[in-house]
Amino acid sequence: MSTPPTHDADNGTPPTASYVADLEARLREAEETLDAIRNGEVDAVVVGGPNGQQVYTLENADRPYRVLIEQMLEGAVTLSEDGTILYCNERFATLVGADREGVLGGPFGRFVAPGDHAGFHRLLSRGPGAAATGEFKLRRSDRTAVPVNISLVDLVLDEGAARIVCGIVTDLTNNYRRSDELAAANQRLEREIAERGRAELSLGLALDAAGMGGWDLDLATGMIRRSLRHDVIFGHTGRVPGWTLRDSMDRLVPDDRDRVERAFAEAVKTGWLEFEARIRRVGDDAVRRVHVKAQTYYDAGQPVRIAGVVADVTDQRVVEEQLRQAQKMEAVGKLTGGIAHDFNNLLMIIGGSLDMLGRRVPRDPKTDFLIESAQQGIQRGAKLNQQLLAFSRRQDLHAEVVCIDRFVETFDHLLDRAVGETIPVKIVRASNDWRSRIDHHQLETAILNLAINARDAMPGGGVLTLTTESRSVDHDVAARWGAIAGDFIVVSIADTGIGMPPAVAERAFEPFFTTKGIGKGTGLGLSQVYGFAKQSRGFVTIDSEPEAGTKVSIFLPRTEEALPAAATTEPERPAAVTGSGLILVVEDDADVRRVTAGMLHDLGFLVREAANAREALALIDSGTEVDLVFSDVIMPGGQSGIELAQELNASRPHLPVLLASGYTAEEIIPEALFDELVLLHKPYSQTELSRAIIDTTLKRSGRSP
Amino acid sequence: MTAEPPEETSKIYKLRLFVTGSTPRSTRAIENMRRICEENLKGQYDLEVVDVYQNPDATRELQIVATPTLVKILPEPLRRIIGDLSDQERVLAGLDLQPLA
Repeated sequence: MSTPPTHDADNGTPPTASYVADLEARLREAEETLDAIRNGEVDAVVVGGPNGQQVYTLENADRPYRVLIEQMLEGAVTLSEDGTILYCNERFATLVGADREGVLGGPFGRFVAPGDHAGFHRLLSRGPGAAATGEFKLRRSDRTAVPVNISLVDLVLDEGAARIVCGIVTDLTNNYRRSDELAAANQRLEREIAERGRAELSLGLALDAAGMGGWDLDLATGMIRRSLRHDVIFGHTGRVPGWTLRDSMDRLVPDDRDRVERAFAEAVKTGWLEFEARIRRVGDDAVRRVHVKAQTYYDAGQPVRIAGVVADVTDQRVVEEQLRQAQKMEAVGKLTGGIAHDFNNLLMIIGGSLDMLGRRVPRDPKTDFLIESAQQGIQRGAKLNQQLLAFSRRQDLHAEVVCIDRFVETFDHLLDRAVGETIPVKIVRASNDWRSRIDHHQLETAILNLAINARDAMPGGGVLTLTTESRSVDHDVAARWGAIAGDFIVVSIADTGIGMPPAVAERAFEPFFTTKGIGKGTGLGLSQVYGFAKQSRGFVTIDSEPEAGTKVSIFLPRTEEALPAAATTEPERPAAVTGSGLILVVEDDADVRRVTAGMLHDLGFLVREAANAREALALIDSGTEVDLVFSDVIMPGGQSGIELAQELNASRPHLPVLLASGYTAEEIIPEALFDELVLLHKPYSQTELSRAIIDTTLKRSGRSP
Repeated sequence: MTAEPPEETSKIYKLRLFVTGSTPRSTRAIENMRRICEENLKGQYDLEVVDVYQNPDATRELQIVATPTLVKILPEPLRRIIGDLSDQERVLAGLDLQPLA
């Protein structure tokens, strides 16, 4: 208000009207100011002093600040330099769970959690300057903890006055809870990702274990995402970068492409895809058979992806084919066995009758010739039947431990004779003492059969090679052939002849299957080989290629059993002898029974007949004095001849039992009875019958009573 | 020295309002001044609000003794109007916009 007048104040010029007006205005202003102050229309007055302008607030003028501080949602405190609480708002009191009266005047430190004391005092003792903040835990009066953020700033008041620190305390519970929730959500997400990862991994492992490759075709781009196994199936050693549907098609053998393309086109409409096709594998260029199965995925009705699996089923198909073949052979074998059984009985009737006829008719050279011819015919029939039975594996196997190499050694001349002079025979022996439990007569027949086939396959000459070797067969291979894994002795006959196309090789073991001209082969040669190998718990493989020759290998299981002691020389066999006594004939076939009875009559025996074991036992139990029981082994229904023999052995140990059979399955004769019983093979002659009766009687009388 | 012709400067009003934070009168003074300026001086004023708490030395130059106080710096002559400016007639008179009744 002491500003000099702006106009001409000090130049001595007399006051003008404007000067007066100005003064009046100033006066009015001063009066107004005084009035305003007097009437309380101002909030503050400003006083100039040596320390600069000071603002003095009038009563209630700072009320809004107080209200602001009191009502704000942060805790507010003022602290003395040593941390004593001079002031706190209501919010702070609530935060620490105490009354304001209990808080004021006390140290702030008592609300700081023990672990945070040092940190808080560091914050407090930073001294004047910029604001400092830190996160701490407050300890409420109920001992629970509250996470807070504390910012401290020095309050600048009068100079020289004691230091006052102003603090804002922000409750972080919600922030923490939110970040806890966030962390929990993150953790859940991580777990889910890990779980999905594991699921994908185990799916991958499962697919891999099943030998399946996974693939996923994007229909828009034609790109296929694949598992490693997928690429491996196609012959790659590692993953191939980038693979389109076109790439897959290119790997198919040309004949299969159209069909597979059609299948893919259909899959888009039908929603599923399944086919089997041949691919040419990268690397070894092998043709492999793959099975593909997949599903189409749609987005808003539009096909977008086809995803599925691929598996190499080549080996599986081979095994299936082998199994199918084995089943067929088994069925044919059963049928053949049945026929052979009946055929044997017929031969028995004819042979037996012929035998007796020969003794009754007056003999002259012509009659002798006729009878001999008929008997030769029966011998041939019997031999044929042996081969049929061999195939059906119902032939009696006289198995014993044989050293294969030593046995093959004796074959040199035999093979030379069998194949003729034009074909050299090469024998490649391993020269070892590997042994197998087999029927060596059957092995001999099998090798001869194979040699004859080999000879016939080389009309223009060639080389026949007989090889023996030892080979380990693992479970997979053995199972494929219905054998048990282990060490096998392999006897192979290889020729350099015309070979066989696959279709012929496939059927080679079937009985009566022959490619030879009518009358030149029976079609039973390989069937015998097959049956022999099977019955010896081995198997046969055949490798043949047209124009390259054929190799047939007989796998016989090796044994560690020792060779039997050298056979004792058999006692001199008497010729047909007559005898006396009562023989009980047990036979279900009436014709065979009659012929047998006739033969025994001719030999001087008394004969009683029974159609089955039950009848036989009834007869014996009735007190009939029987000197010997002669029984067929296989009798439909009821007890078998073996069971009858066992029963009689128990009840009447001194009664001799002779068994006759066209065939027996070896396993049904108990080992214990092997030494006790004499087995007569149908068809038998009168002489053979009489010898067998003598053998039986001798065996029985050799026993101690 | 000569005074500048009032016609040329009367177009722009340079005003400065001194307040003390958000006290009730200061708040009212700011609201009132804004309204008066918008209604009577639209486009011709430059209003500066000074919080004397934040800048106490700013009071010295214009010899402010209390707040709220409005100072008309231009056009001359310089005028101070004290109070919450709720009396519009008085404010307008102080700004030489209308003579006092």
